Amino acid sequence: MILIFGYTFGGDVKGIAIEVVNHDTGIPSGSSLLLPDGLFLARNITQNLDQNVLSLHTSTDSESARQIVREGKAWAAVLFPANFTQNFLASLMTPDTVSSPKIEIYLDGSNPTIVAAVLKEVTQSVQTTLQVLSASLNISEGNMPIAFEPAYAYGGGETRFIDYFAPGVVSFAIMMVTTMITIILFVNERRNGTLQRLLVSPASESEIVVGYALAFAVIGVIQSIVVLVAAILLFDITIVGNIFLALVVILLLAFGHQGLGILLSAGAKNELQAIQFIPLILFPSILLAGLFWPIESIPSYLQPLSYIIPLRYGIDAERSIMLRGWGIGEIWIDILVLIVFAVLTLSASVLLLKRKK
Amino acid sequence: MKVLWFLQKQVSCPSCKTILLCTGAAGETVKVTCPTCGLAGKVTFDQLFDASTKIVEIHNLTKTFGAFTAVDALNLTIFKGEIYGLLGPNGSGKTTIIKMLCDLLRPTAGSAKIFGHPLPCKSVKDQIGYMPQDTAIYLDNTVHENLLFFGGIYGMTKEQLERKEHEMLTFVNLTQWRDSLVSTLSGGMKHRLSLACALIHEPTLLFLDEPTVGVDPELRATFWEYFESLAQKGITVIITTHYMDEADHCTRVGLLRQGHLIADGRPSELKEKTGTRSLEEAFLFLTGRKQS
Repeated sequence: MILIFGYTFGGDVKGIAIEVVNHDTGIPSGSSLLLPDGLFLARNITQNLDQNVLSLHTSTDSESARQIVREGKAWAAVLFPANFTQNFLASLMTPDTVSSPKIEIYLDGSNPTIVAAVLKEVTQSVQTTLQVLSASLNISEGNMPIAFEPAYAYGGGETRFIDYFAPGVVSFAIMMVTTMITIILFVNERRNGTLQRLLVSPASESEIVVGYALAFAVIGVIQSIVVLVAAILLFDITIVGNIFLALVVILLLAFGHQGLGILLSAGAKNELQAIQFIPLILFPSILLAGLFWPIESIPSYLQPLSYIIPLRYGIDAERSIMLRGWGIGEIWIDILVLIVFAVLTLSASVLLLKRKK
Repeated sequence: MKVLWFLQKQVSCPSCKTILLCTGAAGETVKVTCPTCGLAGKVTFDQLFDASTKIVEIHNLTKTFGAFTAVDALNLTIFKGEIYGLLGPNGSGKTTIIKMLCDLLRPTAGSAKIFGHPLPCKSVKDQIGYMPQDTAIYLDNTVHENLLFFGGIYGMTKEQLERKEHEMLTFVNLTQWRDSLVSTLSGGMKHRLSLACALIHEPTLLFLDEPTVGVDPELRATFWEYFESLAQKGITVIITTHYMDEADHCTRVGLLRQGHLIADGRPSELKEKTGTRSLEEAFLFLTGRKQS
């Protein structure tokens, strides 16, 4: 546990998927007196991007690059217009008449941490490039401006950390509450002997498990509504997408962890032991599911682990719904995983109850 | 403690052929003296159970937990309307047998039939009432809520529950605690509630695991009167108990020791066979004999 904590906490964001579109025609060698060897500024800037932080993919069409960002397949698209280098040169020569060249950065604004990381990285790369250039051109850096033109696919650039955080918290809360309470209640039923009474009754094992699941579904939905309402009223969170879909995701999370709780309760002989299970589930979820910081900031060897944590899919889906306004068509994979998880754990619970003999 | 039903029997004296009218309790053996010739004899009264209907048929039922044999090739038949007492010390297999009959444990070998259905008998579960040894009720709910719940899962309607709940509360003497949290009740009261929860849905077969533990003697007498009245109505009651004096109330008794049924019969028969005056002595006699 401590090891995982140490390695995941406060990691720098890495491996952010970026699309780069370079339409810059540049200045070929020999065509300018100032730059006899030619200059392809956009290419230089791109080459200076830290490939550990940004995972680059080049494409040729600006609009399709933006679409890739909209579809969530890349976090940002960096677009260099044509004549980028020429505009740069022109603004150097006549700073008052020509405006500085602009790099368009089209961002998925739903994740402020990643937005910050991308902007920081591009800025740094530009600075490095200009530094090198200033040395060879003998001009001070301060006179070589390049502007950024950020545009947002989602979030309008106003996404605060709390907007990013809220869907995660809602998912996490429902997961923890469901698992914890189920474990404790079920261990209680076992120890109390009331579980035996239930099994002797005409109610089948499936009915018992489903009964529990439904009870928690109701509790979970009510709790989530309270949390969401509080978030909207107190913190001014906006929900872009369909709130019912958001609740459906929460419901699925609840069902799945319900089953998980029942299964884990079988391993505990009393409530004290049951409580010890909780940190075991709590910490990996906090660290690896993308709750506080993006999954991209976890060491890459731990990243695959996040695929087996159901909460990750819940958080992904919730964020997509609340911040990007996506619907079932886009998040169907997350929902499918959650459904499979729920079905697996609940079926296993029924089998467990039957196997008690 | 009193046994309820009294029977009359006409017998003829073997020596002088006088017809005598004898009165006695079901299952009791009464000493009779012929008023004419002074011959002394005994008259046994049959138990009022329907020996034609087998409720529970157990055939070579065995349960092992690893190397430990809890129940060893048990053969037993219990008839409708009986109060059958399973006696024996802790660890003799009483609770294990009941659990197997209730479908909580799967037998390692052998078979059993309840109401003619072989185990596991899902179709007859609604006719079975079960009172476990550990008082299995919800501590965080009230008495009323517990009764409502356990009645509900057996499919009782609201009207049925209302009527029956009142009857049960009166029977177990918990009417004034109807809305109290179970956690505030004493051990004996919890036990009484547990019994009420087992009875509320009017089952025709009862499994009661040590039902009178922690219950004061007066209430215990009430319980046994109630069990006997149930038996009269044709409800079969299977009880486990430590208290050998209670076993006298049973129509038949099975003595268990280390998973074996060492004796099975009416209390009077067992006492006669072993030449003892109480079942406790009978048990000790039988186990003593086994040891030697």
